Amino acid sequence: MSTAPPLLVVDNLEAGYGQINVLHRLSLTVNQGEIVTIIGANGAGKTTTLMCISGVVKTRAGNITFDGQSITGVPAHSVVRLGLSQSPEGRKIFPRLTVRENLEMGAFTRRDHDGMRADIQKAYTMFPILEKRQSQPGGLLSGGEQQMLAIARALMSRPKLLLLDEPSLGLAPQIVVQIFDVIRELNKQGMSVLLVEQNARMALKVAHRGYVLETGRITFTDKADVLLHDPRIRQAYLGE
Amino acid sequence: MFESIAAALGPEIYQYLLAGLVTGLLYALIALGYTMVYGIIELINFAHGDLFMLGAFFSLQLAIWVGAAGAKGQATGEFAVLAVAIMLVAAPVFCAALNVTVDRVVYKPLRNAPKLAPLVSAIGVSFIFMNIGVFWMGTYDLNFPELIPPTNLTPGYRVEFTYQHLMVIVVTLPVMVALTLFVRYTALGKAMRATAQNPTAAQLMGINVDRVIAATFAIGGALAGVAAVVYGLYVNSAGYQMGFQTGLFAFTAAVLGGIGNIPGAVLGGILIGLIEKLGTGYVGDQWRQPLIFAILIVILIFRPNGILGARTREKV
Repeated sequence: MSTAPPLLVVDNLEAGYGQINVLHRLSLTVNQGEIVTIIGANGAGKTTTLMCISGVVKTRAGNITFDGQSITGVPAHSVVRLGLSQSPEGRKIFPRLTVRENLEMGAFTRRDHDGMRADIQKAYTMFPILEKRQSQPGGLLSGGEQQMLAIARALMSRPKLLLLDEPSLGLAPQIVVQIFDVIRELNKQGMSVLLVEQNARMALKVAHRGYVLETGRITFTDKADVLLHDPRIRQAYLGE
Repeated sequence: MFESIAAALGPEIYQYLLAGLVTGLLYALIALGYTMVYGIIELINFAHGDLFMLGAFFSLQLAIWVGAAGAKGQATGEFAVLAVAIMLVAAPVFCAALNVTVDRVVYKPLRNAPKLAPLVSAIGVSFIFMNIGVFWMGTYDLNFPELIPPTNLTPGYRVEFTYQHLMVIVVTLPVMVALTLFVRYTALGKAMRATAQNPTAAQLMGINVDRVIAATFAIGGALAGVAAVVYGLYVNSAGYQMGFQTGLFAFTAAVLGGIGNIPGAVLGGILIGLIEKLGTGYVGDQWRQPLIFAILIVILIFRPNGILGARTREKV
């Protein structure tokens, strides 16, 4: 294990909507160069966790530290500038912007136009279908293409940490495999990833470490391959 | 064929078409304010017409201060060019500032409230504006100084094209072109489109959504300010209720074109202007309002998305 301080530290996070608390004293860390996954059932609080880290949902208690700097209460539009980017649940593509414009929006915080153009080209190399579709409105893409676009768009801000929320949701199995290959490849190139998934098997196979989230609480955490072979996890999340 | 239709309708058709186009451009400017705010926060800003009225009162006040108009709004014959120039700069600034302030004070605290709360508040703001108008200029209709003369520029032709018509076209068209270019090519314009399409994703891109909303209110207000000056100079009257009817016509135009859609608002504005003037000309002035509101009802029933309303739906 590296001795460098963790890239992301979530410490005793509480958050919720209205009267209801969704997260209860949730703590987790992501180290530099790691893929960490949060697995859990629908409604466990996975998306809320990512939305708190991104600054979209307000935290009620606890601290979030990113790259040595507290980002608790920092608004979403500033969090991106610090190097933390998210591909959200349901993709949230801009439906009436073209594929290329969607990618340009991902680089909204940047002003280096040459670098942006180069990164768009990189995105097209990673997902060649996006280049073919570059002049089409995002809303006309298939689900898999939209997911590729969402990931490529999130990368356009050149993040240090990529948050991925349910990238496999509603996609055909061969597309899911392709998406996870890209996640693995990005990680090889040094990208740290926090991956939220209902598809626990795929997530644990790609990740280094995992957290199991149940009704807003972390109930297990370990190395991903340990979780993958834990009988309790196998029974509850891997359908065995 | 067109010639025979034109012959049946009489030579006045050309004058009606010109009047309709010019009035339509005015409605379009106001409709843009409705449609842009709706596009961003899904609020029908019912106070927008009354903001337009206050812009006209402010312009009238400026004309009086400058000395281009007397206390009753009649033109003095002096300082006309100076007054028009000052109005065209100051009225948009005034309306933009007022619109942004109302958003900050009234609508922003209700951003996460049910949709009905800001809507009812907008109706409240409409009444407040109207009463400010009464307090400011009284309940009687006033003259708006005739600073641009209605001199006919095309004597001997079938159409009477005046300096006033020319003024409306020369002011409104460049404003609309500038707005289109702004929304399409500038960073703020792109941020506005992105926010309108998905505010959460916009935040995740690093867009300050609060600032984008404020900018939208500022631009919509500025357009209402331009419309107020041009309307005053074209119609040469002002009154505290002018925003109510004009606002509803412009709102109808926005719905007709597809609310939230910028080219739609311009198209809808021009169509409503043409319908109004042709309806007045051939059917009778008393049918003007029923005609336009009947159109509103028919659109809402058969094509609630309007002529250019969003066709690409978001895939979930």
